[in-house]
Amino acid sequence: MIKLALITCLSLAPLGAQELKIPASLDRLAAKATEVVDVTMDANLLQLAGRFLSDKNPDDAQVKKLIEGLKGIYVRSFEFAKQGEYQDSDVEPVRAQLHTPAWSRIVGVRSQKSNENSEVYVKTGNGKIGGLAILVTEPKQLTIVSIEGSIDPDQLGQLGGHFGIPKIDTRKETGHGKDE
Amino acid sequence: MQDFEQQLRDALARKEQPPYFEAKVLAATRRQPKPVFLRWAFATASALLIAAGIWTDHRAGIQAKEQLQLALRVTVTELGKVQRTVRASTEEE
Repeated sequence: MIKLALITCLSLAPLGAQELKIPASLDRLAAKATEVVDVTMDANLLQLAGRFLSDKNPDDAQVKKLIEGLKGIYVRSFEFAKQGEYQDSDVEPVRAQLHTPAWSRIVGVRSQKSNENSEVYVKTGNGKIGGLAILVTEPKQLTIVSIEGSIDPDQLGQLGGHFGIPKIDTRKETGHGKDE
Repeated sequence: MQDFEQQLRDALARKEQPPYFEAKVLAATRRQPKPVFLRWAFATASALLIAAGIWTDHRAGIQAKEQLQLALRVTVTELGKVQRTVRASTEEE
């Protein structure tokens, strides 16, 4: 029986490891930042928020549909007054988790001009997207978004202009040809 | 036998009521409304507790909705930034 439990635990361990954990060490950057966004929503909170979204309101209904398959949304965003307030080493623990077989980088762009580095990763399994991670590093800003669960990026894009969310400009090709 | 009859007679003999007997009975009667008041107080307190619970739940729900809105706003904004960076990078080439 103990053997069986051990085997079960070991077989489930990689699944747990696939979840992107935002390191607590990032929280110390909050003290240096001029603006901080810190959102931690697990499945229970998402369910609670869903209860306050009206089916009659089209915007709410759209968001409700989007969060149906989600297990969590985690956002950390820091805006600094000057450059150099955070180091690459602060972001490295996040990148290390994303450089595992469970995750695939679908977008990775570095802009020499603005010194901006943007990366989008998806976690796939059984032909479905099971998670989305966005990592954007700018000289004065650092943003990490982790969405756990079944997510359709197109649905996310459609939220632009609704629910108090700015509209994304989708006039041109997203440039997936520049992937790794 | 005579002793037994005497005992019985004594037991059944009419006795004077103890002092303040009537006042005690009246006081006990006046106390009766208190349980009704207590019941009302209990009902009111319960209703207040339920209302407070619903209000707390409502506030938590509204806060959760606002957090969700904020999280989605940041996510969509960052995706927009990624798109712009990709586009700018493509145009540079």
